[in-house]
Formats: sequence, C-alpha cells, structure tokens
Amino acid sequence: MAVLKTFLYLLVYPGLVFLFAYSTFCEWFDRKVYARLQNRMGPTHTGRFGVLQPIADFFKLMAKEDIVPEAADKGLFNILPAFGLAVVSTAALLLPVWHFSPVVPSWTSFSGDIIVMLYLLSLPTLILFLAAWSSTNLFSTIGGARVLTMLFGYEVPLFLSVLSPAILANSWRLAEIAAFYQARPLLLLVNLLGFVVAVIAVQAKLERCPFDIPDAETEIVGGTFTEYSGKKLAIFRLTFDVELVVASGLLAAVFLGGFPGGVLLGFVQFVVKTLFVIFLLSLIRALTSRIRIDQVVSLAWKVLAPLAVVQLLATILVKGFLL
Amino acid sequence: MRIAAFLPELLRHLFKKPATVDYPFRKLEVPKDFRGTPYLRPELCIVCRACERDCPAEAIEITAVGDPAEKRFSMVIHNDRCIHCAQCVDVCPTTPKAMQIDSLFEIAADDRHKLKKDWVYVRAVVKPKAAAAVKAEPEPQKS
Amino acid sequence: MNFKIPIGPQHPALKEPISLRMTVEGEVITDADIRLGYNHRGLEKLAEDRNWVQNIYLTERICGICSHSHATCYVQGVEKLMEIVPPKRGLYIRYLVSELERVHSHLLWLGVAGHEAGFDSFFMYTWRDREIVMDLLELVSGNRVHYAMNAIGGVRRDLDEGQKAKILEGMATLRKRSEYYFQIGANEPSFVARIAGVGMLTKEQAVALCAVGPVARASGVARDVRKEDPYAVYDELEWDLVTSDSCDVLGRVVVRVKELLESYKMIEQMVRRLPEGDIVAKAPRRPKPGEVLSRYEAPRGENTHFIQSNGTDKPERLKVRAPTLANYPATVVMLRKGFIADIPLIFAAIDPCICCAERAVTLVDGRSGEETVVRMSDLRRRSLARPANAPAKGKAAWPF
Repeated sequence: MAVLKTFLYLLVYPGLVFLFAYSTFCEWFDRKVYARLQNRMGPTHTGRFGVLQPIADFFKLMAKEDIVPEAADKGLFNILPAFGLAVVSTAALLLPVWHFSPVVPSWTSFSGDIIVMLYLLSLPTLILFLAAWSSTNLFSTIGGARVLTMLFGYEVPLFLSVLSPAILANSWRLAEIAAFYQARPLLLLVNLLGFVVAVIAVQAKLERCPFDIPDAETEIVGGTFTEYSGKKLAIFRLTFDVELVVASGLLAAVFLGGFPGGVLLGFVQFVVKTLFVIFLLSLIRALTSRIRIDQVVSLAWKVLAPLAVVQLLATILVKGFLL
Repeated sequence: MRIAAFLPELLRHLFKKPATVDYPFRKLEVPKDFRGTPYLRPELCIVCRACERDCPAEAIEITAVGDPAEKRFSMVIHNDRCIHCAQCVDVCPTTPKAMQIDSLFEIAADDRHKLKKDWVYVRAVVKPKAAAAVKAEPEPQKS
Repeated sequence: MNFKIPIGPQHPALKEPISLRMTVEGEVITDADIRLGYNHRGLEKLAEDRNWVQNIYLTERICGICSHSHATCYVQGVEKLMEIVPPKRGLYIRYLVSELERVHSHLLWLGVAGHEAGFDSFFMYTWRDREIVMDLLELVSGNRVHYAMNAIGGVRRDLDEGQKAKILEGMATLRKRSEYYFQIGANEPSFVARIAGVGMLTKEQAVALCAVGPVARASGVARDVRKEDPYAVYDELEWDLVTSDSCDVLGRVVVRVKELLESYKMIEQMVRRLPEGDIVAKAPRRPKPGEVLSRYEAPRGENTHFIQSNGTDKPERLKVRAPTLANYPATVVMLRKGFIADIPLIFAAIDPCICCAERAVTLVDGRSGEETVVRMSDLRRRSLARPANAPAKGKAAWPF
C-alpha cells in the first residue's frame, strides 16, 4: 500500500503528471503576459484562450524526427535531456506545498532542503554545458562556453540573496522559513532588496532575456540547443518549464511567506504566488534587450553581488536587534 | 539613462486591446482601389492585344478560334502567373474598359490549373464617333 | 581558439542568404570574408527581354522594401531618354510615395535592429506603427508592397481629398510615436549598452570606402542625393540633412529616426501643396538611342541605374548599383575587432538589402570547386550566344 502511494506521489501528484500540467500552464501564462505587454494576442485558439498551446507544442515536437549528429558523443547526447528533467522534477518535490497530513507540514521537508534545492537548480546549467559540448557543433560550443561564463556571474548573488531570509528565520528548512514569515509578515519587508536581486538572478538562471545569451537565436543559431530536435528537444523545453515553476516556487516560499493554510488553501496560494513571480519575470523579459556576455559578468559582480551583500548585512543587523 | 524607461508603456499595454486582427475569423476591409484579380468584359473587347503585349508576366493569351471570318477569339488569363499590377487595365483603350480588376485576394488554390479563366467571344465593333459608353454590336458568346 | 564561424547563408540573423565567414579568436573577430551571389536572379538580363513598360514592374521586384526606389530610379532615367517631362502633380505624388516608402523602411529597420539586439518589445511596437504606413500605401496605391505607382511620364493613380486627410492623420500619429522611440532608443540602458561604441567607422574610412546612406551620414559625411542633385520636387520643400558624429550603431539609429521626422515634415508639405493638373504625360513607345545614369536616394543610400537604349522598344542594357553593395567594404572594416555578439547588430546597422546587391562576378565550377573571376566582356559574349537558341518571346514553352 505504501509502495503504491509512493508511486502515485511520484508519477501523478506532485509527480510528473502534475508538474507537466502545471509547468505548461505557467508557460502559457508567461507567453500570454509577454504577448499582451507587446500589444499582441499570444496563444489564442488551442483550447480556451490558448491554454493547451504549450501542450500542443510538446506533442508536436515529440512527433518530429530525431536527428543525432554523427560526430556527437551519442551516449551523453541521448541521456542528458532525461537527466535534466529528472533533476528539476526532484527539485520540485522539495517545495513546501505538498501537504498530505495537517500535522506534519510536508513529507519531503528536512533540515537543509533549501541548500539541496539550490544545488539541484545549479545542475541544469552543467547539463546544458554538457549537452552543448557533446553536440560538437561550432555554435553549440560557443553556447556552452557562454553558459559556464554566466554561471560564474549569477550563482553567488542568487545564493546570497536566497539564503538571507533563511538566516533571519534561523533555519535551513523551507517549511520552517515559511512558517516564520507567516507568523511575522512585517519582516518580509527586510528582504525586499534580496527579492529584487533574486528575481534578476533567477532570470539569468532560467536563461531568459536579458540573459538569454546562450540561446541567442539571432547570433549563434540555437546555441546549446542547435543540434537537438524531436523528442530530446521536447524534453529539454519541458525541463526549462519545470525549472521555471521550481525557481518561482522557491522565491515565493522564501520571500513571499510560503503557502500556509493546509492542503487546498495552500495549493491555491502556491498557484497565486508563483504566478505573481512569473509575472515579474515576464515583465523583465519584455522590458530589456539582450546584453553581452562580458556585460553580464560585470553587471553581476559590480551590481548584484554588492547588493546581495548589503542585504546580508541588513539581515544580520535586524537579527541582532530583534532576536 | 533611466532604468526601466519602457516600463509605463509596457504596463499600459496590458489593458489595451491587442493590435492583432484575428484573421480569418475577422477580416479587414480592402480599400476601393485595391488591385485584386483581373477579368474581362468580353462584349467590349476589340482585340487590340495591348494587354497581351504589356503584361509583365505573360499572363494573357489571346488566340483566334474557328473560322477567321467570324472573328471569334479566346482569351485566357493565367491567374497563377499574374502579378496583380493592373497594367492591362491601364493600357486597355476602350471606354468603358474591357479589362477590369476586382478586389478578390483570397484566391489561393492547390492546383495552378484551376486558376486559369477563359472567355470565348466575338470581337466587338466600336463605331468611330461613338466612343463613350458603347455596347458591342454582335451578341457576346458565353464561355 | 582561432576558428572560422560561418554566418550564413542560412542563419536566423539574416533575412536573405549571404555568407559571412568570420575568423574568430575567443569572442573577438579578426577578419571577415563576404561572399555574395546566393540570391542572384539575372534581372539585368531579364530586363533586356522586356519592353520599357514591363521593365517598370521588373525593376520594382528587385527588392520588396525599396521597391519604389528601383522603379522610380528606372522611370526617371527612361523619361530622360524619351525627353518627356512629367507634370508637377504627377511628380508630387510619385515622391510622396517615395517618402512614405522611406518611412516604412526606417520603421522596419528599427524593429529589425531591436530584434537583433534581443529587444523584442521594441520590434513589436515599431512594426505595429508601421502598419499605419502600410495601410496608407494600400489606400493610395492598391497594394502594401510593390506599389506600382509609376508610369513612364508620371503616375498611374490620383490622390483625392479623403486620402489626403488620412495621410495627414497618419503622419500626426506617427510623429508622436517616433519621438517616443527616439527617447527609448537613447535611454533604455540595456539597448544602449548593446549599440553604443559598436561598429565604429571613422569619417575618413567612410569616405575612402565609399559608404553611402545613413551609414555614411552617421559618420559625419554629409552626402544625400536629394540635397546634392535635387531631382524634381526636393528643392521646393524645406527639410534638413541629418548627420551624426558618433560613427557607431547608435549614430545610425539616431540618423534614421531623425530622417523619419524629416520625412514626416516632407510628406505633410507635399500633401498640402499638391498642385492641380494631370498626373501623367504621354510617353512614346520607343526612345531615341542613348544612355543615361539615374541617381536616387533610397532609404538605404544612393541607388544608381544605368540605362542604355538602341532605339527599339526594349532596353539595350540596364545596370543596377544598389546602395547595399556600396556598403559591403565598409562592413568588413566595421566587423574587425568586434565581438561575435555584435555581428548581427553591425550587419543589420547597414540595413542590408541583400537581394538588391546581387551582381555575381565570381564563377565557381560546381564540380571541381575552383573559382575563376570572369571579365565583363566574357560574360557578355556568353550571354549573347544564348538567345540564339532561346524561343521567341510569347512562344516560350511554359511547363504548366
């Protein structure tokens, strides 16, 4: 019985089926907001308001021909998309929202899970680099080099800004951090600077404009994804969608006070808060143009990292005065 | 240099209707002088062949059919070759013009032979002094 | 790492096929090699087979964006050969459509520059405003692209009061929007960071490499055919020549936006001062033998057509020199020492209209891969030998 329940958790809710449905919904929301900001319609005719469009895109890609270049490293090339999806789905399991018993907050919550989630979110970047490297295409190689260069830029501000609220809440466990801020909502304002830095750093992690340099369509064709087609490309795109959900869920849990209220209300709060974070990410995407790779690194180290350190200092000061 | 200089404009667009026209469920009107597909009014044609000579795409073909005494001609307009420039209309010397152009633009077909239109008719005779609004003498033949 | 990156012939940054082979070290470009010829259609040869009226439509189809430029340049030359002077009203309408085309082309370019830089919102907004101009052109000429307004001796369609009112209304809206885009282009930090200091071309280099159009004007070279050699109506209108001194892509953006504002001024003047009269003068079927060089300021720079006639109803020779062809040597110089990330922007900043510039001169043997450069006289000899076997006009065997 417990085995069956575990399988249901892993495959249906909050496992793969739920993640597939929710991440495609989030992609639809992102595309629709982006389109409306640009005075266009966005997806409209597939399903009501075009909600089924990302699912249609996924199935269309699954049906296309899958070409593997001759010079590519076939083992690595073939396994990486599935690996990426596995990593981000595991990270999704750590979000503090899957309440099944009102007493115990979540069945995947443990001390230190915020660190585990941040590390699991760094893995897709390395997987992208390996995917680019194993493609042995000139454009992919440049894309892969750019992915790693960006990693040196945004990782430190992201870690610093996400860990500051944890320091204030005196715990490394996401459920406890969320509970701390639910009890004292005013302390959320201390983390405002960290929220701004974290949103920008997450935009860089998800490789969206202004940081979509590794995937710059007009410069290096497809960047890391140049040689991927068919099923593998579909799974890579799904990986990015799930990463969007995970990253926005992490930001909502740490900066926006988590998802209180038990099973149903908590889930509704999860949807509302993640959609708010995704709205902010889409706004940044529509607002700016792509910047160059050297400008990313200089922006990260000259602007984002100092601001994250300032946030850390503020957190420590408040902690010293209040507690 | 202002950060987020574009932001108020972007947010304003969230509340405006999209600028896209939801074609084919909603269509825009074409203006009055739109150049669509050419067609012939056979009762007015005097077979001067000016349109055939000046068509940039060789899309008009006029051939004599049958007994030469009857002065019967066949004109084929190859709409698949037509570039919709309306030069044939401009150069047609009759009043009212025998070559006309309409406003149809949704003429796509999957077989180019379906796009050819033809007429078989007897050449019109124009009285020398009555150049305005003359209808042809012999009865026109329908194709 | 010193390797060659091929940009093109098929590449998302390019709207038309051209091959730019860059030699790169890391992210810095050390050399660039431009190869043309992927879009060659043999237009100059086709023009010799068609009569003077049909050639208006052929030259129009050299390019989609600057279609009216080519048609007008050709018609100007033919009118000189035939020694006819179009009536004033016809000239005003013709150059009104020219300025409308300049507006549409510059708005298109602003959008494309935004897209190459990754600034998609700007792209969507400028192209939405370009729809206003496209609708005006459809109202005036009957089609959104390939307006076919020219006839030898004037224009084919007249302008009535309703159309004039709509044009003035459209210009008022566009002027407000263009001034807004000027603000954005100069102020949005991520966009300016991409385009400032990129693609430098000093004034001396611009003059030495014969750059034309906004590329030269952004380096401070004050050349514009409409001011130096005012044809028809341009000396009767009040307008200023726009230059900039920053010699980079930002300068080119500034020059094009200011030219947009000047064009709005000119369009409004032309609509208000439209003289009465005929729109077309009667043209003979055959001009006298002779040759003429016609110059015209297209949105991309100076466009020249050389037309030679031998007294028949078909031209003897038509030679087209499009402005983009003149800008290619300057592009190679601009690309050196740039970053890979800047390639699309630098290339887009010259406003490439690659199909205008396709006059291939290098023959590559398909089987052996060896390249030979062929002289013009040799090419001409080979082309004259061919029509002896070609079927006579009108009896061509169409395969369908």
